[in-house]
Amino acid sequence: MNKPLKKIVIVGGGSAGWLTAGIIAAEHATSENFGLEITLVESATVAPIGVGEGTWPSMRSTLKKMGISETEFLIECDASFKQGSKFTNWMTNTNEHYYHPFTMPNGFNDINLAPYWQPFSDKISFADAVCEQSHLGTHNLAPKQITTAEYSFAVNYGYHLDAGKFGQFLQKHCTIKLGVKHVIDHVIKINASTTGDIESITTAQNGDIAGDLFIDCTGTASILLAKHYKIPFISKKHILFNDSALAVHVPYESEECPIASFTSSTAQTSGWIWDIGIPSRRGVGYTYSSAHISDTRAEEELRNHIIPLMGKKSADAAMIRKIGLNPGHREKFWHKNCVAVGMAAGFIEPLEASALALIELSAKMISEQLPVNRQTMDIVAKRFNEKFLHRWENIVDFLKLHYVLSKRTDSDYWCDNRNETQLPEKLQEQLALWQYQTPYKYDAIHTEEMFPPASFQFVLYGMGFMTQTPHKKRIDQSSKAESLFNDNVQKTKQLLSSLPTNRELINKIKKYGLPKL
Amino acid sequence: MANHVSINSSDHQNLKVITERSEEYGDNVWFTLTFPTEFRSVQAYYPIFFNKDQGTGQFFSVALFGFQDNENLFLSNNQWDAAYIPLSITRQPFLIGVQKVVEDGTDQEQRVLHIDLEHPRVNKEKGEALFLEFGGNTPYLDNAADMLETLHHGLIDSKLFIDMLIEHELLESFTLDVTLNDESKNQMVGFYTINEDKLKELSSDTLTLLHDKGYLQAIYMTIASQSNIRTLMNKKNEQLGL
Repeated sequence: MNKPLKKIVIVGGGSAGWLTAGIIAAEHATSENFGLEITLVESATVAPIGVGEGTWPSMRSTLKKMGISETEFLIECDASFKQGSKFTNWMTNTNEHYYHPFTMPNGFNDINLAPYWQPFSDKISFADAVCEQSHLGTHNLAPKQITTAEYSFAVNYGYHLDAGKFGQFLQKHCTIKLGVKHVIDHVIKINASTTGDIESITTAQNGDIAGDLFIDCTGTASILLAKHYKIPFISKKHILFNDSALAVHVPYESEECPIASFTSSTAQTSGWIWDIGIPSRRGVGYTYSSAHISDTRAEEELRNHIIPLMGKKSADAAMIRKIGLNPGHREKFWHKNCVAVGMAAGFIEPLEASALALIELSAKMISEQLPVNRQTMDIVAKRFNEKFLHRWENIVDFLKLHYVLSKRTDSDYWCDNRNETQLPEKLQEQLALWQYQTPYKYDAIHTEEMFPPASFQFVLYGMGFMTQTPHKKRIDQSSKAESLFNDNVQKTKQLLSSLPTNRELINKIKKYGLPKL
Repeated sequence: MANHVSINSSDHQNLKVITERSEEYGDNVWFTLTFPTEFRSVQAYYPIFFNKDQGTGQFFSVALFGFQDNENLFLSNNQWDAAYIPLSITRQPFLIGVQKVVEDGTDQEQRVLHIDLEHPRVNKEKGEALFLEFGGNTPYLDNAADMLETLHHGLIDSKLFIDMLIEHELLESFTLDVTLNDESKNQMVGFYTINEDKLKELSSDTLTLLHDKGYLQAIYMTIASQSNIRTLMNKKNEQLGL
């Protein structure tokens, strides 16, 4: 039990496997005599699914810590800058939209601007009033200039990227720079010890690979946590209906077409269509509820959506890939000496692109809390499970919020989504509370919440929610609020005139690279 | 608008270049491009810093003449009050153009001397002639060509120098706070200088590498040049009558 933890075996590649390998290897020394040994085993024949082509701003510090050059990452992963999400037709299906930007409302730590904005809600949207980012989205502007150092910004950003290329890029970095061992082989057997721990995995060509900690990154197959340990799956389909997706690549009309700064999400009759712009193409897809629409009808809706983007002929001929989704997560994620990361732990539809962020957070906690020996592992495992159960719940609640606030009545899908019996209890309580007070600091129960109270504000007030604050308070911050609103107008003007478009900046980065400092 | 043309004796026989130093001829700049092989001369008069090109984000080294845009504290009465003026200033209105030539059956690029015909220094009445009365270059023109060659190679070397500084984390940003005699404060941001803490930590291998390329000297010249900030402040105080 006191034997030091020395060998980590990651089963499965893809973004989950390589991100986890990279995050752990970047923090701990990897060499055979002292320090950790990290081995990643992946089978050559199982093609990784390109999950989530959108990241959160957290990816910047993740990549930086791994010692990755942002310039190389942007070029090799065909990446562009993401500044948040734009939601169209979610409220009334009248071509309306709202933004959920990555920037917090101005002065958020000192003042809650929401109540001061509300009287002007018919004149300016919440996002436009409290931060500059939504204004930039309209013009496809970049979050920085060519003189801005790698990973620094004028406005906060994450990335849109080619998930397939990202996996390969991380693999190269992990094996060449971070000393991660790479074994390409099939896992054919899992060998348990008398205590129930996994002692080793047997591979087809490379024999037994022993380890002290096994990380399951095998995607929905979840061969260690689900197949071997039989940890039950908790379905969330009754709350978040979307269980299918159709994905298609849409080319740009020309090489100089603008690259969007926001992930676009357009509500449909039975789900929503994502549109993610990377330098070489757009990734478009329809995620929908198979209980509410047939695959054929869904495909028709998707093709109709892409006709204006690529013309009828190409849209009709475009190759569409079907992906099955099973919304939900495992009952626990760390069991014995095995922890699951990525889709092996669970999956929720890509709205708000939480998949990669959850992988980063999981790997970060495994790395930072890495048990020194087997004795302490169960304690770490317990804390890990508690934290991530809360995070999955937080994601489910926050995604559900997007649906319950909709006023759409044009299909059963939207009406069913507002059925109160399927509303998570905590969300019900919050909605009741938010009738009379705006979400603010007390709405963050834990540290490092997946979605901070600022996100609740952007979605609530983006979707026309009204909070009635009944009485006037003695402490009046309206003059401070007013000056923040005015500052935002100035700051926005200045950024609109100084920031390049994503396309311009990406082209420059290809030519000159971003400065290191 | 600039109008760059390659120089030839038939079209430009009568051109002259004014060599006086004044605002009128575009000398009211607050910094200019410089490069390591010029540092020894530059550091005698001007502070040397690093700066990013706004269009490319690439670093280059600069000699500082003032504390704000359009302020050149060395300029007065049509004179430049220093014994050395950086080449990137003295080269005006000349520049290097690239001409494609076919040599031994292959395409080659050749550097040729260009002039900006719209530059306020260029005229037909006064200043230094480019060509002798009966043909042939004037020593002035030959000198300009030599200067541009030096500048050309100096800038190539400068890029290698700066790449090494970045690789070894020897650059750091800093804010220059200038307090004048009347206690008024000015702040300059966006400049970079040598990180002396990192410099002290360099291994002997790295130091040898820098020394072999002549960059160690350039690094210390840069650090030493900072004392010229005092000169600039004195000039500014004097100009304001403080």
